[in-house]
Amino acid sequence: MNVAKRKLVLLLPVLLSLVTLVSACGGSNTNAGKTAEPTAEVQKATEAPAKEGKTVGGLQLPIVSDKLDLSLWSPSGGNFRGTNFNEKLSFQQMEENTNIHIDFQHSTEASAEAFSLLMSSGKLPDIIYNDLWGTDSGKYGTQGALLPLEDLIEKNAPNFKKILDDNPDIRGQITSPEGHIFYLPNLVLDSQDLTQMFPQVRKDWIEKLGLSMPETTEDWYNMLKAFREQDANGNGKKDEIPLVTVNLENIMMLFAPAFGVDYGFFVDNGQVKYGPNDPRFKDVVTYLHRLYDEQLLDPNYLVDTTFQTLTEKVTTDVAGAWFGWSGSYMGNFTTLMEGKHPTFKIAPATPPKGPNGDQRHVSFRWQAAAHGLAVSSRTEHPEEVMKWLDYQYSEEGILLNNFGVEGKSYDLVNGEPIYKKEVTHPSNGLTNTQELLNHTIGGGSWATVADTRYAEQIREANGQTENPLELYSDYIDFDSKLPPVQFTTEENDVVVPLMADIQTYVAETINAMIMGRQKIEDYDKVTAQLEKMGINDVLKEYQVAYERFKGK
Amino acid sequence: MLLPTVLYFLIFEYKPMYGAIIAFKNFNPYLGITDSPWVGFKNFEKFFESYYFLRLLRNTFLMSFYSLIFIFPASLAFALLLNELRLKKLKSFLQTVSYLPHFISLIVICGMIIDFTKPGGIINSLLLGIGLISEPIQFLILPEWFRTIYVGSGMWQSLGWNSIIYLAALSGINPSLYEAAVVDGAGRWKQLMNITLPGILPTVLILLILNVGTLLNVGWDKIILLYNPGTYVTADVISTFVYRRGVMEANYSFSAAVGLFNSVINFTLLVLANRISRKTTESSLW
Repeated sequence: MNVAKRKLVLLLPVLLSLVTLVSACGGSNTNAGKTAEPTAEVQKATEAPAKEGKTVGGLQLPIVSDKLDLSLWSPSGGNFRGTNFNEKLSFQQMEENTNIHIDFQHSTEASAEAFSLLMSSGKLPDIIYNDLWGTDSGKYGTQGALLPLEDLIEKNAPNFKKILDDNPDIRGQITSPEGHIFYLPNLVLDSQDLTQMFPQVRKDWIEKLGLSMPETTEDWYNMLKAFREQDANGNGKKDEIPLVTVNLENIMMLFAPAFGVDYGFFVDNGQVKYGPNDPRFKDVVTYLHRLYDEQLLDPNYLVDTTFQTLTEKVTTDVAGAWFGWSGSYMGNFTTLMEGKHPTFKIAPATPPKGPNGDQRHVSFRWQAAAHGLAVSSRTEHPEEVMKWLDYQYSEEGILLNNFGVEGKSYDLVNGEPIYKKEVTHPSNGLTNTQELLNHTIGGGSWATVADTRYAEQIREANGQTENPLELYSDYIDFDSKLPPVQFTTEENDVVVPLMADIQTYVAETINAMIMGRQKIEDYDKVTAQLEKMGINDVLKEYQVAYERFKGK
Repeated sequence: MLLPTVLYFLIFEYKPMYGAIIAFKNFNPYLGITDSPWVGFKNFEKFFESYYFLRLLRNTFLMSFYSLIFIFPASLAFALLLNELRLKKLKSFLQTVSYLPHFISLIVICGMIIDFTKPGGIINSLLLGIGLISEPIQFLILPEWFRTIYVGSGMWQSLGWNSIIYLAALSGINPSLYEAAVVDGAGRWKQLMNITLPGILPTVLILLILNVGTLLNVGWDKIILLYNPGTYVTADVISTFVYRRGVMEANYSFSAAVGLFNSVINFTLLVLANRISRKTTESSLW
């Protein structure tokens, strides 16, 4: 090696980090890309560890010696604060560590339309985010849009492979009927974190009216009735809406299990069943009709379907109970009302026990979520893509995705990551969930491992002393919730068109019965109709898929 | 001079029609249109066999039919009334006010409709105020109200705008005809019946034929923004069904088939209306 070359080699890391800086700050990096393109000779030279390399869980860093651009499609609306994920400090740091730049292609809204338009356009980026891969990946995989990843994982993803080997269940949850893995999911390894949404009630109202936390469906009824009739908010007006919701599904998740059923498919002693087709479902409808009829359930629930209208009802002190997320509901509402209401307090309630003793918490996720990242078949860098994805599951990647950059958003205290006070108690008018999204996308929303300490610290920061996630673990029944089964193309051809009509019919009928526009007495007509519409053919396919899943 | 027009139609109107053949295929974007396997009429059969086929057809037809029989004559009547106004300032004021809603984005329009029809909204307050109802009506969750709201708001949205074309036709009538009629002693009503109406009749008929030709095209976006499971019974139309099945479930071949079916019916109606019009009056599209 001559002197000139050696000098170049020494210069390269400096150049590279400069490039990283430039591309991290500005949006377009066409110029940066050019400067990073070294001559062939230099390229050879850099293959020797010019930039100080390291390994994380067997993955060699940086992944590439020359900056590589990969494209990634992901929605960026709503929770995904920021116009480009590269504005998040975690992704900037990630680029520095891996030497891979991600061109984020964002659709402004997280909609199914935007996604299916992308998939049918044929012009795919290297990596695609979606929250329905659980069911969609098999379909797009067989169409040829997605790359089967088993071999790539075997060879290039030591971190992810280790997780799969340690948790065989996860492999089953993401493997298609044909035996392929088409996406890398968001993972929860700690069962405590599996709970998602749960019933939440106004604790201060309960105390004020001298009630106790509801335990049975009858307790719920009495509590809601007291909210409505005893002027729970104390403004002298009968304006309380005891139970609010943005859709029927949430209400069903709260009450249907108390009567032994679910609103959708569930498993009963190894048999897949469809809730509305079960005779017990009549009791659910009867119960909800009673709530609706006495104006305990928001009479406007079919029209006010946005989170905004619900937030308005909660923050104007008229809503008494709802079924929602830990952070975006309970946490948000608590921070929003801080200092504006003297006693405002929300508490999680246990799942109600039904008249026959049924008691079950249904809103939990599987270890492998349906949301995650898939690799398109059009990618020219399958290995690098896989390594970059694997980085998300390395210890370093998990910390970055959950906590952000050390010293910026968190500090290591005795080896434990602790959020800085500016993050948990932001003074810039944002809620802490929003502030956190300036630093990371959040461990729960990305193809990485969701860290328990993340939710824990945010919850404590919001003044929630109870741990709702622990509260529900006793009521979670893994056997009765339908696992994320996947269908073959042939099965899909049966299930999809039949269910399209069935779901329309069910939504229409159940709502009409709750609102008293159809008689609940002839519920057997509903089940007869469902059978006429082919529910048994659908159930047959579900049973096959379920047994295949169990056999994995 | 003709070339740009011909090119425009070839590129933007005729070439896309090639894509319609996916209605007869099991379309897979990664195989492309030509390589996707043929399935014959399977997609059409699936649609006709659908449990909701008749209801969709009925809702689609009724919704457009009501729009046609209410909004079409109302726009004409509005134009005639405006034409009779002698106060220039009032006339232009009314005209501006009436076509303002046409320029509001549909999302905003629907937001306004939702606000207006709420239990505490302006419509309920008004009805309660004049004693027509004793309890507020939940307009948007009651299926029997959906068509009224759809057509009513449609009228509010488009009445003024639709009347422009009639006003243009009205200004084309030779003023000497009116002068002659006045000399003959014809009053305002006689003038309207014998000069104004016959003068714009060809325009009216052409517009009517065109409207009939799109009888099965209902504005799906407005329905999607306003409907909910409570009102599916009267609100679900072919295009919303296609939206749910085609776009949401990425079932492109199926929705192409339904769209094609829709177009064929529209085309047949157009030809029929044109023929009837040509037989009974002198005016027709071709």
